[in-house]
Formats: sequence, C-alpha cells, structure tokens
Amino acid sequence: MTELALRALRKTYAVRGRPPVEAVRGIDLELRSGELLGLLGPSGCGKSTALRMIAGLEDVTGGDILVGGASVVAVPARQRNIGVAFENYALYPPLTVADNLGFGLAARGRPREEVASRVRDMAERIGLTGLLDARPGGLSSGQKQRVALARALIREPDVLLLDEPLSHLDAAQRDTTRRELKRIQQDLGHTTILVTHDQEEALSLADRIAVMKDGVIQQLGTPYEIYDSPANLFVADFVGEPAINLLPGAVEERGWVRLSDTVRLAVQVRLAAGREVVLGIRPEDLRLAGGEGAGASGVVGAGEAAAGLEAAPAVAARVSAHEPLLEAGIATLALEGVAEPLVVQTGPEVRLGRGDTVRVSADPRLTHVFDAETGEALR
Amino acid sequence: MKRRLLAIAADGALILYFVFALFPIAWMIILSLKPPNELFSTYFSFAPTLDSYRTVLGAGSDEGVPFPRFFVNSLVVSLGAVGLSLVIGLPAAYAAARWRFRGSENLMFTLLSFRFAPELTVIIPLFVLYQKLGLFDTYVGMIWVLQLVTLPLIVWIMRSYFSDLSPELEQAALLDGYTRKQAFFKVALPLVKPGIAAVSLLAFIFAWNNFVFPLILTSSEAQTVTVGALSFLGGDRPKYNLTAAAALVSVIPPLLLALTIQRYLVRGLSFGAVKS
Repeated sequence: MTELALRALRKTYAVRGRPPVEAVRGIDLELRSGELLGLLGPSGCGKSTALRMIAGLEDVTGGDILVGGASVVAVPARQRNIGVAFENYALYPPLTVADNLGFGLAARGRPREEVASRVRDMAERIGLTGLLDARPGGLSSGQKQRVALARALIREPDVLLLDEPLSHLDAAQRDTTRRELKRIQQDLGHTTILVTHDQEEALSLADRIAVMKDGVIQQLGTPYEIYDSPANLFVADFVGEPAINLLPGAVEERGWVRLSDTVRLAVQVRLAAGREVVLGIRPEDLRLAGGEGAGASGVVGAGEAAAGLEAAPAVAARVSAHEPLLEAGIATLALEGVAEPLVVQTGPEVRLGRGDTVRVSADPRLTHVFDAETGEALR
Repeated sequence: MKRRLLAIAADGALILYFVFALFPIAWMIILSLKPPNELFSTYFSFAPTLDSYRTVLGAGSDEGVPFPRFFVNSLVVSLGAVGLSLVIGLPAAYAAARWRFRGSENLMFTLLSFRFAPELTVIIPLFVLYQKLGLFDTYVGMIWVLQLVTLPLIVWIMRSYFSDLSPELEQAALLDGYTRKQAFFKVALPLVKPGIAAVSLLAFIFAWNNFVFPLILTSSEAQTVTVGALSFLGGDRPKYNLTAAAALVSVIPPLLLALTIQRYLVRGLSFGAVKS
C-alpha cells in the first residue's frame, strides 16, 4: 500500500477587513503504509481542514502532502485517488446503492461488467448485498455509513480518509460499525486517517493518535501514550472519560504539592519549591481508602512520598455526590480548602451517601504534573 | 349559538370575496361570448356565440389584428427568455451559492435591483438604444430585455436551492473522478430539478404577462399578446368582446404549463437531498 506524509502543512483563510484565520499552522505527520491514524480534536481545531487539504478539496497555503513519496499538492482532487467517507455520507439520493458505488468507477470509464462485478464484490465485503437496489433515503444511518465507506473503498484508493464516521450513529450501531470499520480497514490494509472529535472513536480504532488544537498537533503517539503521559493540560483534559481532575497547587520541598492549607499530595517529579503547577489525576487512578477515621482532616499517611500505591498517602474528603453506575460508580468529592471538585471512579461495591467522609489516595506515579503557566507536562 | 353566527358570517365573507375575485373572470367570459351588438346593452340578454374567438383566432382577420401571430410571438419570446435565463442563470446561481468571491454579494444585489426598479424608469433610454442597435421589434431584442424580468428570479431562487444542497455531494463526485463541470451537471443539477421546474414556470408567467417592454419596444413583428389584445380597442368602436376573447386565449399557455409542472412543484417543497 502507500505511506502518507504531511510536511509543515498550513492553511490560512483570508477574510477581507479582518486578520487572516490560521486554520492549520504547520502540521507534520508520517503515516506508515496501512496505518490508521486518528486526528483527534475539538471542533474548529483544523482537523477537518487538514483532511480536506489531503483530499484536494481545499487549496494548500503552505507545506507539502506526499502520497507514496510523491507530492500531490498540485494534483486536482479527481486525480489524487484518495477515498473519503464523509460525515454526512454524501450519497447521491436519486441513485440506488449499487449506482452510488459504481458512480466513481463509471467516471473513470470502466466497462459496465467490471463495474457491476466490483460493486458486487465490495457489497459482499462490507455487508451490503441485500441493499444494492435500495435508495439512500430508505437506509438507516449505519447502513448509509457502510455505503459511504464502500464507495470510498471501491476505487481502491491509496489513502482512505474517514470524517467522523460514527458521529451520526446511535449507541448500538456505533459499537457494531466501529468493529466493522476496524475489521475492514485491517483486511484491506489502507493507509487511513480518521478525523474525529470523539476520543472513544480514536482510542479504539487508531494505531496512533494526533491530538490537535488551534491548528497545531499537541501530541502524537499511541493511544496508551496519549492516555498515560499527556504532553500538556489540553491533551490531558481532552482525552479521558470521565475527564481528568485538574488541581492547581504549589510545589513544596521533597516531592509534595500543596493544594490548600490542609491538603497536599505527593508527586514523583522533583521541582523547585514554590513553583505553580497543576496536578492531573484521572478518576480511575484514585483509590478510596474507606470511611474510617471520619472527621480527620489534613495530610495523613507517610511523610515521604513513597513510590508504591500501598504507601500512597490518603487525604480526607467529603462526598458531594455519588452516581452508582452498575459496573463502576462516579463519586464527586470535596477536599478541604480546594475549589475544584475531585471526581473518583469507584468500584461497583462501593455505597456512598452525600456528606460521608472518605479517605482517598493518589498514586504519585500516576499523578501528572503540569506547569501552571505553559500547561506543558513536567517530567 | 354565537359560534354558529360567527361561522355563518365567516362563510358570508368568504363568498363575498369569492365573488369579488372571480367576477372579473366571469365577466370576461360572458363578454367574450357576446355578439358585438349586445356589448353595450343595459338590459340582460345573453345569446352566446363563439364569433369573437373565430375572429381573434382567424389569421389576418378583417380586424387587421394578427392575433395568432402575437400568440406565437409571445411563446417564442417567453420561452426564449426563460431558456436563455436558465442557461446563464443556473451556473451563476451555482457559483453564487458555492463561492464567496470579491463583489459576489454586490453582484447579486445588482441583479435583484432589476426587479425592484420599475421598468418605466429605463424604458426611454432602452427605446433609443434599441432603435440605434436595430433590436427594436425583434425576437432577439425582446428576449434580451426580458432577461431583466426572468434572470434575477432564476438566479435568486436557484441560488437558495443550490445552497440547500450539501457541498459534500459534489465533493464526493470530485473525488470519484469527475471534473467540477461534470459534478455540476451530473450531481448538482439533477438534484435541483424540482426547483428548476418551479422557477421556470414562475419566470415564464412573468415574461408572458410583461406589458411595458413589448408596448414600447415592439410594433408589429415581435408584438406579444398582452399588447396585441389591446389593439382590438383601437379604431372607431372598442371591441371589448374581441379583447376579452384574446385575453382568455392568452391565459391558456401559462395555465397548461402550471398544470403539467404541478407535481414537480409539490416535490420541490418536500425535497431533502441530505439528512443533516
């Protein structure tokens, strides 16, 4: 198959009478052949613009796009051989599914028999055989998405681009379609970029993820890298459900960060005392130590920041809400003197009531530290 | 009780409006069926005759008004104007819907301004121009000047139809290997067919009913029914029966067109290309 590379890719929109809008500010990406890369970011971060530039639907302001080592910036969309499954499917309403699939082949002047056999072939692969004579209007969202995917794939594109492929599907269809997508992409081995604002989609499908914000890639890595060691506050906050707890504090000596007069947490990084930082602790990395010692406040536990979970010091907290969600609950806690609530994922057996006092401990190894000013991770 | 009275009053009002709206048409029909000597009678007598229609439709009648020719002129000029407007206006509407280029809004507004400036304000310079250019009393001249009527309508209405189309449809076609032009003809245009039908009918009716342009810019060769129907009023005695018959005959083409296009008009209202 083909590898894809973006080199310092930029897009600037000129708006008359206003400063130009920089939608994409120089992104560099290398995709191995057959790799599925997730371009993840909030709406307006430039991910769709990047996708449209790769497809050739948008002019490139600067930089280069290499498909199989050759620059395609000057090549018009119709000659790029890039398949796109659009977010809203963009199926031609008056045509049947079969004609929708064959539309692109017909444009390339393929003989009718070849078109018909390739349409049948693709329909079989993607599970559309029974729907070939249906019109898009009568299909479910999941079926439309499969037709859109089949249409993008039938031309055997060098690169496949998926624009929010699951965003219009309901929960049940989402799961099956996601599994299907993964299977099809792995079977056919297309180099693929998946553009999405949905972290779950990116985490579950992508080999690597590029997290984007304001036209810049914030972090590039495997889903585990993105999740386990976020490069900055934005990535930490954007990836993870429920969202990471972000607690501002100041560094004290010997690996402590003070959050309030009575609460401090241990961290692994050694930083100069007095430095302003933000601690990031994922709800699933916090442990409840049970409700004994109710009423105790302040810092409890080992004086030294020990490396192990068992030795992690626990702090007292008051429960402000607990949502018992069968397989795991979500508890919202208040730490004394800390404005930000602390969200903790609890086990299914935990029963908590509003106002209960619990002790909670954070593993210093899993506590991320960010510079309060720049938002960059401190390691 | 009160409610019933109200209902009766409402019905009464509706009937009154019904009579008000339809009376002129009924009068026209009666007028067109009367023999000339009963036109001005003060008592009611009605012995219907189709003589007026025979006179109006008989080419080169003794009245010296070649009405069938005006009828053909109207058809040629109106269809020509709508056809030309479609050829120019559809690409223009598409461009205006898809791209924001320098001055695009000004251009669209200028086009619209042709509709709200009364035709009479420009008719004298137009008359002089047409005389000088040899366009006076020609099909070309009439089709050209009717663009002021049909083009803004077609461009403005079709622009909103194209705007409602998801651009991704054409982009998908581009990626499928079509050129911009092919994407326009093969994807965008077929999807706005109901809109084209509706707007063509409207434009045709406006062109057909136009009075001022043929009144000033034609004399005999390219004169249309709207002006032609009035020529029966000239001479020593106004022949209202002939005018009425001519007017009724000239209602037929727009009416037929509206009836044939009707199903597209309904589809045009309930049409959705892309689920959003």
